[in-house]
Amino acid sequence: MKREWLNQASAIVAAALLGGALPASAHHSFAMYEPTKTLTFKGTVKTFQWTNPHVILWVLVQPDDGGAAQEWSFETTSPGVLTRAGWTRQSIKVGDRVSVTFSPLRDGSHGGGLNSVTLLDTGQKFVPSFGKEQPELK
Amino acid sequence: MSTRTTRTTRTALIAAMAAMGSLAAAASAADQKDPINPTPTAQDWQALAKLPDWSGVWTPVISDQVAQEKTNAPPWNPRAARQIAHMYAEEDAGRPFPIIDHCFPTGMPSWMLITHNAFEILFTPGRVTILGEGDGNRLRRIYTDGRPHPPDPDPSFHGHSIGHWDADTLVVDTVALLPQAYLAVNEAVGVPNNGDMHIVERLHLLNPDTLADDLEITANKILAKPWRTTRKYYRQRAQKYDIAEGVCAQGSFTEAVDKDGNAIFAPVKFHNGVPVGSESK
Repeated sequence: MKREWLNQASAIVAAALLGGALPASAHHSFAMYEPTKTLTFKGTVKTFQWTNPHVILWVLVQPDDGGAAQEWSFETTSPGVLTRAGWTRQSIKVGDRVSVTFSPLRDGSHGGGLNSVTLLDTGQKFVPSFGKEQPELK
Repeated sequence: MSTRTTRTTRTALIAAMAAMGSLAAAASAADQKDPINPTPTAQDWQALAKLPDWSGVWTPVISDQVAQEKTNAPPWNPRAARQIAHMYAEEDAGRPFPIIDHCFPTGMPSWMLITHNAFEILFTPGRVTILGEGDGNRLRRIYTDGRPHPPDPDPSFHGHSIGHWDADTLVVDTVALLPQAYLAVNEAVGVPNNGDMHIVERLHLLNPDTLADDLEITANKILAKPWRTTRKYYRQRAQKYDIAEGVCAQGSFTEAVDKDGNAIFAPVKFHNGVPVGSESK
């Protein structure tokens, strides 16, 4: 099935993006997501699931062949880690139009490891990150 | 039968002593079988102020975890080494083995070795408590009141830990770990310890804001010899680092509303261990 593609970054760019979206704390490694492949979809947020061990962004993606919207899941690290990177559970809201860049599941299922999400109405971009590795004392 | 007899005898003894107005003697007799946690004194609380300052939240130095995975691998025995090699190959092929599955706690020693999440350390009289973030029961109770390990402790994910202070270093001895608890080098590579694992840790400040955990892990079922390794953690005082509640099972559910209008959790569709959209295979 054809889907809305914005771009397909090179393996090098994908690896660099993944550097900011390392595997999360618990539950599983992120190795099931194809690290050498990066896709970008546009869609509408169905749910922004702010839960441990992994935050999940559920997005309805409209196929460009006019078929029914498809539900995709984009997984990333935990609320605690994302909070430190400047996210909140209100960063992304139901109904927001978003552009999502992700590493897809290798088996073609409708899921991916989130590399970044941009709110199309404001241009605000959120990137998962463990933040700087240093003490923050003030 | 014998246990019940002992308990009955002791109860009768305590009752008799209490009746004689000799409660102290009763407590003393009971001490030998059922030790109590004494009420902390003002001095006990004051003594905590002399311990090193480990306040704040500690975040793992993940780049160092990754570096150590490459430079200081555990001395696996041949059987474990074969499994580890296979797991690395599976991870490389995009089929990571789920070490931290079923929302079980990461457990010891893997928590200290591979976590990406923060923890905090609390001092109270007779106890050091480490509270972690991420999987719902990430909690270590380290008894520093001088007690020994129990003769037959129940195995658990975090084991039974006793500790003592050697100057400004907390020395922790941990036994009674579940044989199923993994010795993991990352989230997809590791083997269960299979029993009789013993961990000795020396926790100390490397500099004012870096905590080090020097671990010596003896796991004769999977290691050819004891393994020594160190993990580092950075101190965080910014409140954005405060520990967040982590209920692992919550990640398997999403917000929904039932037919009566109640806010409920509805199961998320998983496929090969990850959440997937509704049209997935």
